[in-house]
Order: sequence, then structure tokens, then C-alpha cells
Amino acid sequence: MSESHLYTYGIIDDNESLALNVDGVAGATRAYTVSYRSLSAVVSDIETTDPERTDAAVEAHNTVLQAVLEHDATRAVVPMSFGMAFKNARTLKGVLRGARRALRSTLTEIAGTVELGVKVLAPGDDTAVDTAAVRSDVTARLSALSVGETENDCFTDRLIINKSYLVEHDTRDAFDAAIDEIDAAHDDLTVRYTGPWPPYNFVDIHIGAEQAQQGGR
Amino acid sequence: AQPDSSSLAEVLDRVLDKGVVVDVWARISLVGIEILTVEARVVAASVDTFLHYAEEIAKIEQAELTAGAEAPEPAPEA
Repeated sequence: MSESHLYTYGIIDDNESLALNVDGVAGATRAYTVSYRSLSAVVSDIETTDPERTDAAVEAHNTVLQAVLEHDATRAVVPMSFGMAFKNARTLKGVLRGARRALRSTLTEIAGTVELGVKVLAPGDDTAVDTAAVRSDVTARLSALSVGETENDCFTDRLIINKSYLVEHDTRDAFDAAIDEIDAAHDDLTVRYTGPWPPYNFVDIHIGAEQAQQGGR
Repeated sequence: AQPDSSSLAEVLDRVLDKGVVVDVWARISLVGIEILTVEARVVAASVDTFLHYAEEIAKIEQAELTAGAEAPEPAPEA
């Protein structure tokens, strides 16, 4: 019996059903929604519940979410981590049902926003840079234009700033302009501006299961 | 400037390390699962919201999950 499983990319509000022709994980060519009441999971068919974690597969996961964002730029998407494949629609709906309050409140919190990434790098040579001054200048400008921010790891000494910002759609243009101003004001530095992303750095949800056989814990 | 979403390193950083995680037992089987646990942390508007739920999913009505059988939303819980 070969039943198709469901690879999930993210959770959206069920205002409309969605079907996109897009290259997804494991050769899928179409993404669509599976709904439980007012929540919809964006899925594609897959033959395994344990998809191989390759660069291409991870990029495909992102490509589908980018297509969802492009389809309706104001849509809130709660992104799934890589590899969240469900056995069938029944198990998926069971999880949507069990986690509905957390998913609902998360969708409400992130409505009307996108995540933008900002990395600022010092020059590779020995040019002296007042990193504290750069930090306070840049973060003050960007904090004023965002509704949330997270500090990510500065994994090399050259990395002066590595942050993700949650930015409302209405302030996107102003945020873009602020990046230009920062770039112009610090022309010895490299500014890497990425996104828009689903709010990966602002959503942290873990759904677990306790089996009856294991007894009460 | 317009942001760019094509960097593989940026994509890997997010898609592998972050996002909603669902344990394998909750994804492949409802049989034998008594409790679904949900832990959620939302970082927005300078407020950290931490939520913890434990739902008894063994009580899910089969009919409720059948496609097309849409029951009305329950009254919101406080």
C-alpha cells in the first residue's frame, strides 16, 4: 500500500485555500494546504516521513515559503523546521488541533510583519573600527523601525552586528532606506541585508507526544 | 536597498536550526499517544510570551478529523 505522506513548510491563516506550482522538497512540483478549522498547513506530497537533509532540499523548503510570501506579502506564516513530514492528513490535523492555541496566538503576534537579517562586517584589513560606536548607531536606527529583534551569534571577530529584526510591512520602505543610510555612513564596513524571511527567529514552538505505552511520566 | 533571500548560509541557519519542531511520534502516529505537549515562545513587541499546553489527544473524535466535517469553533478559553 503506497500512501503519500505530507511534507509541511509552514502554517498560515485559513482565509483562502492555497495551491502553488513550485518546486518543493523531494521533487514535489505543487504545494497546497491541509486545513483544520481556521489553520492551514502548507504541504507537498512526499514518499517518506524522513526526508534526506541536503542543501538542495533545505533550499527547496525555503523556496516554497518564499513563494507563499510572494503570493501574498502581508500573509503571516509560522515556519516549520526542516524535515517535518507527517504520515497523513489525519496526523497533521491532529497536531494542528492540539497546538491550535499556540499557533493561533503566534499568527496573531506576527501578523503584518516579516523578518529581515542584518549583518555588519568590519574590513578584512587592519583598519581600526570603533565597533561600539558602530553598534550603537546602527542598532538605534534599526530598533526604532522594528517591533522585535534578536541577537544572533557573532561567529567571527569581523562580525560587528548579527541581528534579525521583525519589521511591519508599513515600515519596510523606511527600513530599506535606513540600511542605505547605514551603508553610506560607514563605507568601510560591509552590510549584508537579507530577507524577507518568515519569522524564523521570532517563533519557537516544540510539539511533543507522550505515548500511552510508556506510562505516566 | 532591497534585502536578498538567496544566501544558502542564511537559509541553512534558519531552516535547520529554527522553526516549528514536531516530534516524530506526533507526526507518524496517533495510536498510543495520550498527550500532545506544546511549548511555544514568541518573541515580538519586546515581550516574551511563553506558553505551555498539554492536550489529551486520545479524546479526538474521529469524525472531527474526517475531511469536510467542520465543527464550529469552541468558545474561546480564557
